[in-house]
Amino acid sequence: MTDMPLGTLPTEAQVEERAVEIGGAMPFIAVFKREFKQYFRSPIAYGVAFALFLFLGIYFNGFVSQVNGQMPADTTLIPSIITFLMFLFAPLLTMRLIAEETREGTLETLMTLPMSEWQFIVGKFLAVWAYYTVLLVISLIYVAIMSMIGTPDYGATIGAYFGAWLYGGAVLAIAMIFSALTEDQIVAAFLGAATILVLYLSNTAASALSAQSPVLANIVRELGLTAHYDATMAAGILRLEDVLYFVFVMIAALFITTRIVEIRRWRS
Amino acid sequence: MIEVNQLTKRYGGFTAVNGISFRAVRGVTGFLGPNGAGKTTTMRMLTGYLPPTDGNATVAGYDVFKQSIKARQHVGYLPESVPLYRDMTAIGYLMYIAEIRGVKHRRERAETILARVGLANRANSQIRTLSKGMRQRVGLASALIHDPEVLILDEPTIGLDPIQVLELRDLVRELGERHTVLFSTHILSEAEQVCDDVIIINHGSIVAQGAPAALRGELERGGRVLVRADVAIEQLLPVVREISGIGSVEISLNGVIATPSTTDDPRPQIASAIVNRGWRLLELRPVAVNLEEIFLELTRQGNKDAEAAEVAE
Repeated sequence: MTDMPLGTLPTEAQVEERAVEIGGAMPFIAVFKREFKQYFRSPIAYGVAFALFLFLGIYFNGFVSQVNGQMPADTTLIPSIITFLMFLFAPLLTMRLIAEETREGTLETLMTLPMSEWQFIVGKFLAVWAYYTVLLVISLIYVAIMSMIGTPDYGATIGAYFGAWLYGGAVLAIAMIFSALTEDQIVAAFLGAATILVLYLSNTAASALSAQSPVLANIVRELGLTAHYDATMAAGILRLEDVLYFVFVMIAALFITTRIVEIRRWRS
Repeated sequence: MIEVNQLTKRYGGFTAVNGISFRAVRGVTGFLGPNGAGKTTTMRMLTGYLPPTDGNATVAGYDVFKQSIKARQHVGYLPESVPLYRDMTAIGYLMYIAEIRGVKHRRERAETILARVGLANRANSQIRTLSKGMRQRVGLASALIHDPEVLILDEPTIGLDPIQVLELRDLVRELGERHTVLFSTHILSEAEQVCDDVIIINHGSIVAQGAPAALRGELERGGRVLVRADVAIEQLLPVVREISGIGSVEISLNGVIATPSTTDDPRPQIASAIVNRGWRLLELRPVAVNLEEIFLELTRQGNKDAEAAEVAE
């Protein structure tokens, strides 16, 4: 179909224009809804879901056949594996979020709408966190299977899942920083994965350091992700400080992302 | 209404926009200048995308920097690159922008505005399948979705075919009846056709401002005239040259162009000189000065000044 020929544009009188009513704008909800829907149309999101559940399925199968009847049904296993795999999957889920808007120029349109950077970033973040939540909920199927063949500790299960939910939010927020930093999605994903891996391995680094400087080792351990998840929440131990750690990481990362978007805009 | 006061943008040592001031009221104001003159930078400051280094601007009465969100509620902006989400439908995109802006009755409003830009029949097409001209109209529709007081269009006719350009110009002219439109272009004839008022900008400074007709009148006053008579140009030339008040003459393809040395209209004297010799006058009219010439003249002047300043430094 071609463009309409000259002179066919309706005039103002022909198109009846009602007075436009404006009010109660919630820009972050608009951004959230669009981005969340986007995940169900994105090949990468399906790829991540496929890889995650393939891995979980194989691992679960092996685990069940190995421990069946000999060990208790450990329902914290699945969230633990998910949190480990997130070093790879979080950047894959977030790399597009801001880099694509920057590259396509749509950021310029959005940042001239009556919407603050913060609303924009929070909307994006909530969308990816919600998608991750969906994946987490689907993985409850393994808990259901375990409860059929054994008697899992539901307290530990709830703790581990709640922890994995917070953990996911934190690493997704961290990975998002790099999507704001570069227009190149691959670079964003790579830097995000590297950063999360460092934070994940800080426990190992802390163990290596503990001989030389126990104080430094403690700081490194507390800064890392593992000390606040694997050792506590994954075992069903819910500590306020761990919850606060993840919430703080999320807010800090979102704040940094907001600042980056703002500074990059002002320099453009 | 747009009010700009000593607006300045510097990037390190480079001054992109250098203390410009202007007012734009209802109607279409053309923002004219060569590429890199500072048009886009100025527009980005007016839309709250870029903070100014100095000076201020208000849009619909709100300071674009201090009351940025308020100001943005009254502005519709179409960036030069017309960024759109290609995987969304036209109506979907408009409803998304409407939702961010808090526009009520979104579907109805989006349908109305799509009809307004002549795209009602492509509402459910993915934007990636639309032609450049149609995308431009989707962009324009998204800038109009909240019926803004001020509409800022950055080179909206770039990359369109001639028919699409004409359609868009008509549309912009119509929009000028209800909105304050700031319309940038580097095509002079376009500004002449579309705009009620023209601001010419070069190297970040305003070099001329006024209605296109007034700008032209300024240069036409005491301007050059074209003379044609039913005799050979070789005969005509010395006669015209000798008329008092004529500074110089030159031969153009079909006649003689006389440039007067005073501000008096030389035409009566030329006419009588020719008729007195028994020749018949075929044509006697001012050589039309178009914006192109005004523009070249003004920007050349500006460039010379800039060079002189650089040499002086």
